[in-house]
Amino acid sequence: MSGGEGDSFRPRYPGYDVLAKWSSPDWDDQTRDVVRRRIEEVPPIRFFTGDEAALLAAVAERIVPQPDRAAGARVPIVPFIDERLHEDRRQGYRYEGIPPQREAWRAGLAGIEATSRALHGRAFVALADAEQDEVLRRVERGDPPGDAWAGLDARRFFTSVLCETVVKTYYAHPLAWNETGYNGPSSPRGHVRKWIGGVDPWEAHERDARWGTG
Amino acid sequence: MGDRMTRVADARERTLTAPGIDGERVPMRDRSREEVDFCIVGAGAGGGTLGAKLAEAGFSVVIIDAGPHWDPTRDFVSDEAASHPLFWTDERISAGEHPIELGSNNSGRGVGGSTVHYSMIAMRAHPDDFRRRTILGEIAGAELRDWPLGYADLEPFYEEVEHDLQVAGPTFYPWGRRRKRYPQREHDLNACAKVLVEGCTKLGIPVAPAPIATLSAPHRGRSPCVYRGFCNYGCTTNAKSSVLVTYVPRAIRAGAEVRPGCMAARIEHDSRGLATGVLYFRADGAELHRQRARNVVVAGYAVETPRLLLGSASAMFPDGMANSSGCVGRCFMVHTGDQVFAKFPERINQYKAPPPGGAITEHFNRTIPGEAFVCGYTIEVVGPHVVDFASRMATSRGLWGASLRREMLDYNYWSGLGIVGEVLPRRDNRVELHHDERDRHGLPIPRVVFGYHGNDQAIVRHAVRQMTSILEAAGGRESWHADRTAHLLGGCRMGHDPHDSVVDADCRSHDVPNLWICDGSVFPTSAAVNPSLTIQAIASRTAARIRELAARRELSPHHGHAAPAARIHPAPRGTA
Repeated sequence: MSGGEGDSFRPRYPGYDVLAKWSSPDWDDQTRDVVRRRIEEVPPIRFFTGDEAALLAAVAERIVPQPDRAAGARVPIVPFIDERLHEDRRQGYRYEGIPPQREAWRAGLAGIEATSRALHGRAFVALADAEQDEVLRRVERGDPPGDAWAGLDARRFFTSVLCETVVKTYYAHPLAWNETGYNGPSSPRGHVRKWIGGVDPWEAHERDARWGTG
Repeated sequence: MGDRMTRVADARERTLTAPGIDGERVPMRDRSREEVDFCIVGAGAGGGTLGAKLAEAGFSVVIIDAGPHWDPTRDFVSDEAASHPLFWTDERISAGEHPIELGSNNSGRGVGGSTVHYSMIAMRAHPDDFRRRTILGEIAGAELRDWPLGYADLEPFYEEVEHDLQVAGPTFYPWGRRRKRYPQREHDLNACAKVLVEGCTKLGIPVAPAPIATLSAPHRGRSPCVYRGFCNYGCTTNAKSSVLVTYVPRAIRAGAEVRPGCMAARIEHDSRGLATGVLYFRADGAELHRQRARNVVVAGYAVETPRLLLGSASAMFPDGMANSSGCVGRCFMVHTGDQVFAKFPERINQYKAPPPGGAITEHFNRTIPGEAFVCGYTIEVVGPHVVDFASRMATSRGLWGASLRREMLDYNYWSGLGIVGEVLPRRDNRVELHHDERDRHGLPIPRVVFGYHGNDQAIVRHAVRQMTSILEAAGGRESWHADRTAHLLGGCRMGHDPHDSVVDADCRSHDVPNLWICDGSVFPTSAAVNPSLTIQAIASRTAARIRELAARRELSPHHGHAAPAARIHPAPRGTA
């Protein structure tokens, strides 16, 4: 499903920075607090091993590629997944056939690595982008070679654990809000122009580089 | 309204406070040392509503809840990722042919329950919804039952709850029985709703503004909705008429204690088989606490309620409490909640405001002549925020990689519809205790087994076609479908026959006359409408029936304590 490097993600809302609304009536203290922590206090890696973290970073870069951003300017993905596993903060259910989340993540990452070696004879992190995508597609389809996936439903792991978590982590970040034109926090102020095509002054405007805080 | 003896004897009684709805603390009676008239487990749509009504009728009430007592001015954030504390995140196993999403999809945590994050769509069930077995007869693979009560029984209570919640709805609602006007005026339609209205109008499908339990005008110190759009993550402005800001404050004012952070472990009973109270864990403690009660009400929703009853098995009740019928946990249901999204040439900004300002069509909420399925579905608008929407794009469309990021650039141009589709009760769909996995308190975790009946899937196919046609008629393109479910129902159905149901029409256990169940688990069939208003109407009716039974001294017929018939004088304001 993935395109090659050099894909451009055209800036639809060139002047839009959701954080410019930080002191506006759209942000309350409790929301400022959680978003500030998300930006400034990227958690340390405590659950994954170094190898697992590097592997997951490579996987995440295929699921939500950020070639348009320098390495230090990307939305961090692995630290937030690691934090959730370190705290063992769960989501309220797991499908039968998937072990508890800590086990599932370790087993799933080991499965991806084993699938990489079975298909290409090399570590996942050493593969070219297209080869990495091929490995992930085999996992997604539920037919990865080898027996590393015994005890874990590869397709379910890919979709409902790996892919969903990576995607949710990326789109929870203000950088993702900027590129999608998502309004972000809205308390206590809400919205007035609710109709089709209606855009409040404090919402993301297209083609207007002078966009301000309303 | 404990008696005078209790008050004098209990000199060490603590003064408790609870969060008010405007950031203040309100005084609350400590009833932990009393034998109360009612101990209710769960402060959501069922338990919160019932608790308020019972307290106002003069009964002594404790409502325990596993989660926190939310302060809407401080605890809710305008952020999807940080809202996870609102949802029930204890582990559950989802199994069966079509295992369902739980957690944030349908399971609330804390005082107010799922009404803190629900979509406020305040629909009544229809007369035929209560008579599925009579109307449809036997359907292979399903266990259809009539409800032991009918629309006429619930009608006054629907009206009462609509008034209590100040439901904002259209002047004329085109489906169901003729009814009085809604207490508040409908909300102005939002963009997603206008898409539904435009598509339906072009296709000749009747459509109307949705009745929403959110203020459109000021009411008793609460302000009307400002259309933040974060309804599913807690309302910070108190426009949303959740149980947290409506019935719970009433309950506390009338003398009830609402005790958060208490996970019920088991219901206790005496040698006569009557419930005597509830054992529970405090959030972070390993010790069991006891709340003594003359009546116990289980209101934990359709997973935790059967779980608690099954987990309360004893030598006298080896299959769990209230389960001589074998029905506890059986015929567990959901609604199909399939969604279709399409892209439009103009800005929709779907994060902006649905459900208030939503529209609805119940045109297909009926058995449609010429179709190969029975029952139907309601179409509503949906407006997922960016994290939720991206997650649907990834899991339902299989989009990942650069194509996901590119598609998400158009986030503001997508508009969505979703259904509440009727699901037939099947005996094999069930909630049971996991054979070996335990939670942090050592309680067996629930295993939820679910698989669709063929009829459920036929409804979904029809609905997806209709939603796609409506979106296309409104000018949408590139539509795609996300399969999902909504709501949790059944598992402790009500009925007349003690061998075939768990509770009677009053939500009273057939087996244990002072044990009651008051939540969505009592639904015998699912009805293709959002269930909360019906849950609350049933709770209001149960409260009224309990008053009647108490007045006739039929509340605790085999119980040694004085029946609380003498206690039905309303509590004076300010005595709490």
